[in-house]
Amino acid sequence: MSNRLVSVKHLVKYFPIKKGVFRNTVGWVQAVDDVSFDIYSGETLGLVGESGCGKSTTALTILRLEEPTSGEIIFQGKNLAKISKNQMRKYRKDLQVIFQDPYSSLDPRMKIKNIIAEGLAAHYMLNTKKRYQKVAELLERVGIVPDYMERFPHEFSGGQRQRIGIARALALDPKMIICDEAVSALDVSIRSQIINLFKDLQKEFHLTYLFIAHDLSVIKYISDRVAVMYLGKIVEIAPKDVFFRKTLHPYAQALVSAVPVPNPDYKKKRIILQGDVPSPANPPKGCRFHPRCFKKMDICSNKEPGLKEIEKDHHVACHLY
Amino acid sequence: MVINNQQKILEVKDLKTYFFTENGIVKAVDGVDFEVYQGETLGLVGESGCGKSVTAFSIVKLLDYPGKTVDGQAFFKGEDLLKKSEKEMRKIRGKEISMIFQEPMTSLNPVFTIGFQITEALEVHYKMNKIKARERAIRLLEKVGIPIPGQRINEYSHQLSGGMRQRAMIAMALACDPVLLIADEPTTSLDVTIQAQILELMKSLLKQFNSSLIMITHDLGVIAEIADRIAVMYAGKIVEYTDTRSIFYSPLHPYTFGLLTSIPRLDMEIEKLESIPGAVPDPLHFPEGCKFHPRCTFATEKCRKQEPVLMEVEEKHLVRCWHFEKVKQEARKIAFTGRLTAGE
Amino acid sequence: MNRIIKKLLSNTTSLIGLILLFVFILIAVFAPTIAPPLFPDPYQVPRMSWDVEPQPPGFPMADDMRFIYESLGKPITRDKAIFGTAQGGYDIFYGLIWGTRTAFYIGIVTVTLSMLIGIVLGSIAAYFGGWLDEFLMRITDIFLSIPFLVAAMVLTTILGRGLDKVMIALVFFGWMGYARVIRGSILCAKEDAYVMAARALGVKDFNIITRHLLPNTIFPVLVQASMNIGSMVITAAALSFLGVGAPMGYADWGQMVSFARNWIIGSPGKAGEYWYAVFFPGVFIVLFVLAWNLVGDTMRDILDPRLRGEL
Repeated sequence: MSNRLVSVKHLVKYFPIKKGVFRNTVGWVQAVDDVSFDIYSGETLGLVGESGCGKSTTALTILRLEEPTSGEIIFQGKNLAKISKNQMRKYRKDLQVIFQDPYSSLDPRMKIKNIIAEGLAAHYMLNTKKRYQKVAELLERVGIVPDYMERFPHEFSGGQRQRIGIARALALDPKMIICDEAVSALDVSIRSQIINLFKDLQKEFHLTYLFIAHDLSVIKYISDRVAVMYLGKIVEIAPKDVFFRKTLHPYAQALVSAVPVPNPDYKKKRIILQGDVPSPANPPKGCRFHPRCFKKMDICSNKEPGLKEIEKDHHVACHLY
Repeated sequence: MVINNQQKILEVKDLKTYFFTENGIVKAVDGVDFEVYQGETLGLVGESGCGKSVTAFSIVKLLDYPGKTVDGQAFFKGEDLLKKSEKEMRKIRGKEISMIFQEPMTSLNPVFTIGFQITEALEVHYKMNKIKARERAIRLLEKVGIPIPGQRINEYSHQLSGGMRQRAMIAMALACDPVLLIADEPTTSLDVTIQAQILELMKSLLKQFNSSLIMITHDLGVIAEIADRIAVMYAGKIVEYTDTRSIFYSPLHPYTFGLLTSIPRLDMEIEKLESIPGAVPDPLHFPEGCKFHPRCTFATEKCRKQEPVLMEVEEKHLVRCWHFEKVKQEARKIAFTGRLTAGE
Repeated sequence: MNRIIKKLLSNTTSLIGLILLFVFILIAVFAPTIAPPLFPDPYQVPRMSWDVEPQPPGFPMADDMRFIYESLGKPITRDKAIFGTAQGGYDIFYGLIWGTRTAFYIGIVTVTLSMLIGIVLGSIAAYFGGWLDEFLMRITDIFLSIPFLVAAMVLTTILGRGLDKVMIALVFFGWMGYARVIRGSILCAKEDAYVMAARALGVKDFNIITRHLLPNTIFPVLVQASMNIGSMVITAAALSFLGVGAPMGYADWGQMVSFARNWIIGSPGKAGEYWYAVFFPGVFIVLFVLAWNLVGDTMRDILDPRLRGEL
């Protein structure tokens, strides 16, 4: 937990809403709105939230797969938000990603050996023979018979395809891998295989993970620290044990209490939130959660709470504290 | 849990539904038996491809080509649904048996208002006049927790959020006081806080209306919350069938056991997540003998050769496995009060 | 691949199309044998006589013609006009046989070139989006708004008569359809996760377009292109018919039809007297276009469901 690998400062990503004949910008979808956090070397930071909270957009923006509207992304002393696209290409070796959908994240027309070797080719690493050797090693490491490298994606199951995606990300020896809902689309019995694979690889290759998910149970198992997002903002961020023992933000409390537990006797005080998530194009004034908050105060509809450190390493954005 | 003295609403016997594709015959449902009693919720649990959805569609005869129910019976109120004509089924669907689907966006007709879709059912099944139907529809929307129902009744499905749409679907399903509700992954596509709302709503409505529910899902947490009894399906067959607590506290089938030990959960600290090796088998090439044996840590030679039958090995606890005793021991070893479930 | 071939062969209509195509290919390949040329330029259609009026099938070579050829030292291997002669005594049979080569040449070259232009412009527009997309699409719209035949005629008037000028016109005004189709496909495909994955790996844009996007989107374009081969030939024939296009006496189907221009109706009292001047060239054109259409149609049917399923 010592050194910061990536530092995100006041990251903003707005998507323009265009209407009319001349495509005038009539509004903005405030997908990510002033988000700051650090990711420490070797840890797994779990980023959790429901649909529309901006977690995936945050990930894509950090990787410059979406251009940030403003803010800084500090990596190895450089602000990735400001460098040119060409310069960014070099950093891509260190910052890899694994996507959610195993069926569309592999080019259906490419043999998997080329899918995995593509990163190496793009960065002119190793000669062809050595590349395929590395592909074989990687396949073996992720649990796929190396001989299968001549096959095409459609010949593999969802879980296997996800393993191929992992091999592809590992090929470049990255420092950090962003897992964007990487297990959400898998069958339950396969999910734990892949989760365990993630954990093993992290130890072996000294990886840092930004693990994005909507399933708190998975986040609890795999993360060292947890960050909760709501409508484009981080509302709470804390080490895992602290977070689950002492959930502070009302939304985070509701989220934790909403997760169904596979135990018929589990009695919990369930917090049922009223209403639906508002649109990120038109977020509420003041604290974005206040219309649905069961602990709302007057100040909440006027003033937006900032992220404050309540106790060591435990930050909350809420007027209650 | 009230099974004794309760009426049997639905009895499914030896249901077999096969898909006749150009690549071969897919035995999606291959000999399934279960019952649903008045006022209870039966959970059908399994992963993708196990046949749970096909089972439900077969019962209400909503199968699509190339699927065909080739054997079995589904007794509802004493009559075999599978023998009924399409015309007769139409009188039953929406009125006595209602379905709620996973994707509310595609099950609600986008060109009709949601009010229309509710009143339509009322007018068809109860021959209500328009005014009465509309009143009842508004009351139903209110009951399912849709705010300002008088206004929302005139809206279209795309104007509602996912959670609202699912509530509208539930309203539609309950419009004619069905005896049996079949819900196919109704909350899978919803956010978890919305899912919690919908589950609470369903539980309260079921109690109010005293309806029965077949809840189809892959989520063990959801099923623990809402089901009274559970049937676990794998490769087209039921592999374990008993009440909810027994499933979670003393599973007897290796697959059930595997599932329980491989899911991450909030209520306890997990040192190491177990996993079930391998993958769900290709429905065109099921293994010989027990369909689960290639992935089973308890499998022996017998399992490779002979497929086990569903047997009642303990009171009201049926399992399809030669080695359920071993599973029982393993489950005990893990001290399930600490590992499989955590009591309060 | 094997499945595609199997499907192509099992379907009756596609089988007919394939057989027709095969026959045409044979004709084109064996043209020197079927209709031995009498001039150094094999595309120069020999005359059977000096008659202005078309002569019916089976017309024997006129003696004065024969005398000219023999004195020029040209071997006469055939002295009957099997399909008759067109205006000016040109041997229809010869024109149609060698015209097959011309048809393939026109069709394949124009379609390939216009397809390449369309793909380049369309994929750049779709991939980079923004003002580049707007700009390129407006250019496409401008080209599309010009009526083709008029534009082609204007262009050939400026450039002069000749088959190559006709082909330039066909390419110049024919790329827009491909551009649009590819643009649409790429706009969809570029949102696919594997494209984003390639970007995340650091693959250069050019490689993303050529290695990922195009291979996954090009099949519908190829199908459309194959069907357009027929229509290119018809359009070239139309231009020839209108007097723009291949020079007099050139072995080109359009030329053959244009020779019939004055004789379509026939003389008063004898309607359709010169049917052969229109019929034979017409049959060749129709069958050629039909062949490409049938094959292209079947290709499209094969590819559509497969595009949705696995590959």
